[in-house]
Amino acid sequence: MAESHGSASKFLVGIFDDDDVVLKAVKEVKDAGVRIHEVYSPFPIHGLDVALGHPRTRIGIAAFLFGLTGTLTALTLTMYTEKLDWPMVVGGKDSYSFPVYIPIIFELTVLFCALGMVGTFIVSNGLGPTVKPLMFDLRTTDNKFAMAIDLGKNKLDETKIEQILKASGAAEVNVKQF
Amino acid sequence: MASVHAIPSLDEQYEFTAESKRRLIIGIVAGVALVGLGAYLLASGAGSHEAHHGAAHAAAGHEHAGAHHEYKWTTRLWANVWVNAVYFTGVSVVGMFFLSYNYLAQAGWSSAFKRIPEAMPAFLPVTGLIMLAVFFIAGHDLFHWTHEGLYDPNSPEFDPIINGKKGFLNKPFYLIRMVAYFGLWYGLWRVLRNLSLQEDLYGGTEYYNKSIKFGTIFLVVFGVTSSTSAWDFVMSIDTHWFSTMFGWYTLASWHVTGLAVMTLTVVTLKEQGYLKWVNQSHLHDLGKFMFAFSIFWTYVWFAQFMLIYYANLPEETIYYRERFSGYGEKYLVTFWVNLFLNFAFPFLVLMTRDAKRTTIFLKIAAWGIIVGHYFDFYNNIMPGTVGEHGGFGPIEFGMILIFACGFIWSLSTQLTKANLVPKNHPMLEEALHHDI
Amino acid sequence: MSHITSPVRTPLVTGGKTYADVTEDVSRQVEGRPTREWTIAFTISVIVLIYGAACVFWTWWEGLGVWGLNKTVGWAWDITNFVWWVGIGHAGTLISAILLLFRQKWRTAVNRAAEAMTIFAVICAASFILMHMGRPWLALWALPLPNTFGSLWVNFKSPLVWDVFAISTYFTVSLVFWYIGLVPDLATIRDRAKSKVSRYIYGAFSLGWNGSAKTWARYEYISLILAGLSTPLVLSVHTIVSFDFATSVIPGWHTTIFPPYFVAGAIFSGFAMVQNLMLIIRVVFKLEDYITFEHIESMNKVITLTGSIVGVAYLTEFFIAWYSGVEFESYAFINRATGPYWWAYWAMMTCNVISPQLFWSRAIRRSVVWTFVLSVVVNIGMWFERFVIIVTSLHRDYLPSSWAMFHPTLFDISDYIFSFGLFFTLFLLFSKFLPVVNMAEVKTVIKSSSETLPKSVSGVAKGERVTKPAFNKDAE
Repeated sequence: MAESHGSASKFLVGIFDDDDVVLKAVKEVKDAGVRIHEVYSPFPIHGLDVALGHPRTRIGIAAFLFGLTGTLTALTLTMYTEKLDWPMVVGGKDSYSFPVYIPIIFELTVLFCALGMVGTFIVSNGLGPTVKPLMFDLRTTDNKFAMAIDLGKNKLDETKIEQILKASGAAEVNVKQF
Repeated sequence: MASVHAIPSLDEQYEFTAESKRRLIIGIVAGVALVGLGAYLLASGAGSHEAHHGAAHAAAGHEHAGAHHEYKWTTRLWANVWVNAVYFTGVSVVGMFFLSYNYLAQAGWSSAFKRIPEAMPAFLPVTGLIMLAVFFIAGHDLFHWTHEGLYDPNSPEFDPIINGKKGFLNKPFYLIRMVAYFGLWYGLWRVLRNLSLQEDLYGGTEYYNKSIKFGTIFLVVFGVTSSTSAWDFVMSIDTHWFSTMFGWYTLASWHVTGLAVMTLTVVTLKEQGYLKWVNQSHLHDLGKFMFAFSIFWTYVWFAQFMLIYYANLPEETIYYRERFSGYGEKYLVTFWVNLFLNFAFPFLVLMTRDAKRTTIFLKIAAWGIIVGHYFDFYNNIMPGTVGEHGGFGPIEFGMILIFACGFIWSLSTQLTKANLVPKNHPMLEEALHHDI
Repeated sequence: MSHITSPVRTPLVTGGKTYADVTEDVSRQVEGRPTREWTIAFTISVIVLIYGAACVFWTWWEGLGVWGLNKTVGWAWDITNFVWWVGIGHAGTLISAILLLFRQKWRTAVNRAAEAMTIFAVICAASFILMHMGRPWLALWALPLPNTFGSLWVNFKSPLVWDVFAISTYFTVSLVFWYIGLVPDLATIRDRAKSKVSRYIYGAFSLGWNGSAKTWARYEYISLILAGLSTPLVLSVHTIVSFDFATSVIPGWHTTIFPPYFVAGAIFSGFAMVQNLMLIIRVVFKLEDYITFEHIESMNKVITLTGSIVGVAYLTEFFIAWYSGVEFESYAFINRATGPYWWAYWAMMTCNVISPQLFWSRAIRRSVVWTFVLSVVVNIGMWFERFVIIVTSLHRDYLPSSWAMFHPTLFDISDYIFSFGLFFTLFLLFSKFLPVVNMAEVKTVIKSSSETLPKSVSGVAKGERVTKPAFNKDAE
């Protein structure tokens, strides 16, 4: 994934059975002064990113710009081919008649926007066909929820954090090293 | 998100204050004064337009040729009443339309403010009676097809095309249809409204299930009558012209206007301290509705325009010619205002997520849509009724004011008649926790 | 997420499923050996495909003269089939995009298969475009490429060129949308995989997904935007297909209601096809707890709604043809209903407008047999609709001396059969190698929409996989 792991770091992984519990636990663990590395889940949990304090994604801006590129491409393409390079009167329309290009403009806007946005998503999340996933627990793509805590970035000691995790509802707490 | 929702006291009564009543009366009085002023100006200045007559006629084609005997200034007055009546009929009936499809789709979120669409159709009898009256008083001036000579082969006015439409465009059938529209729409609304009020009193899911049934019946009725009423109220004015899209086009216009009125009402009530339980997610969804259906209206507008423009058949393009370059380009400005306010404006204002959650942006967009779609109807009705005598002056402004104040009065009165929380609605709990 | 659900809502997941159950029930047939039913169906499809491909090859080798086209009827089965397949494709995008925007929870169980159906249907549709070109190797002429014969470009004023853009954009965006939705589920299968080969393949396609909160948040965000883009896109596609007809001045084609009416018809036929596929899948793959009667009923309601919209459009067209006073237009419609192709017209009317009205009965709406039969009927009707629009409008030229009839040849029919072979081969491959139900999304609605919630919603994990992690062995 995108997060870099230069040296081996040691993680404490709390495994939860329930999405509501993990959402509540995030707040409790944070309140107890523990820095959470990330939470992993088999499906999106509404409000989890806000609870973790992740900033809102700005992919929308990228999507808008890609869409705009598509609009401009379509305008340029139709303007260049039909007006400048080879003016042609078809069906009694002017060589450049804006209404008939609206379908092309729309389609290219959508195409550029969708492909650009998905491309940005893949790149910004560090995804790719050769990427080895950073799995804290294989069950998090099935039915479990994992809260990973980077011990190197926390002042509290391992046992204390383990207690906090257990108290907030973790079914088990494992140690994972990368 | 598990943010804490303020649990509303399950009773909230809207108060139609003396202050708001006073303001609305002032508005109506001002409107009447403006209409009077405009009428005086028109009456005293009548005939001064004759100079433009010839040129505009050439552009307008033969649609009005022969039919244009004496133009009376009152035609513009009645045309104005008609524009507003059609517009507010749409806004009112969309309240019922919204309720019905929300029932059918089992939507939960909208129950938080369902009293507002529920209050809108109460204005229908008013517009219905006004339209009937206008048809009796001035139908002859507004609707070219009401001229007897068109159907008489011996008359110089005889028009074989319009004669062919006699089976549909004749006064008795027209009146029957008009009464049927308003009767059905209003009647079904009364049923739904009563079910909703009884649900408040007695609770239980029986009323909910019945509401789904009657909502569905309304949708079936409205599926047909929305198109036919659009042909009757608007398309038949340009008697020769036809477009299969016209019914859905008018429905799209009515619908988005109704949504904008609903949103504006919700936001205004919130600002007055009501509807505390309507949260940002509800507003966001209302914003999305306005955004999406503005685009839908544009889609329908464009599809109709595009096909007529592309095929370039004279009997069809005349419609846009009249609005674009006809009558000395009198309607060109409103043509563009229509497109700008109904597409570009809401599209840009409501594009971001934050805008849809901010009341000020919602209000700006709603106002844009409300004003823009007035011009949609203005542009569809005026060229065929008053042509080169049209314009935008005190008479137009005053008439809008009268109708708008009347509508707000009716809406406010209805709102006082029921608890603002539909407290026994089975979806209410979901709506109160609506979070997106 | 608030799991508050009104008591009047009917459950969408039955059998008290846990998260682990969802994974297990859906992944089962991806991981297991092909069932006998699947093998038989697949064999038949491949045989049909091979037969069809040979016929298509012959169509190209010999030329389009092998079809029944003539000078008057220049479009017939080819474009009928094209519009029919594109229309079917629309339901997938509708379910995945529009119902996502409307937050209809029932879509979660059917969106994956419906989207797959969309993609395969668009491939089938495109195959008819290539076929009717006669010389498919010159298909690139439809693209705006500078050519060697001077600087003549494609005619951007032609709806046929708009179609090239619309269909290719639609295909690309649908594919991307579908694939992005697949990624988390592919990761699930990757993490369950026992063989090295499938771990490698599903691993590569799942792009290193690990379900972190940040990725999920972005994923949900782009899903919404993609849905927002796909919604006008899906409208635009059939709109532009309708422009192919409606921009011309042929009676029965040039009518302004065509765009939305084509879209409604497309959704109508697409839902019918989804019904057919899902009714089989839920039985063969034992997914009755996920694709419940609620789902079937909801889709039948959409079929009734869109069928009625189409009916209103038919009547509108008919009425305005009379109202307009244009004699050619009036004739075109009278000819449809009473001319030599009256049977096609009445087949269309019966199948599309009348038969879906049976779904007003709740018992029929919830009956598997009725649903299946009526869905087939709807698709027959929608094929006839396109046939009626295309052939009955064309076969009466403005010159009565050119009036003609169209008679399909063996190759018209076989090339249509080819598309069925292609469609079912692709769909069966999909249903074997990819999860047919979106596991991640179904898990999100378990809590709010289960009939009975198990004591622990997590369920039992397969211990073996926990002790033998597939990845990051080097790190341990």
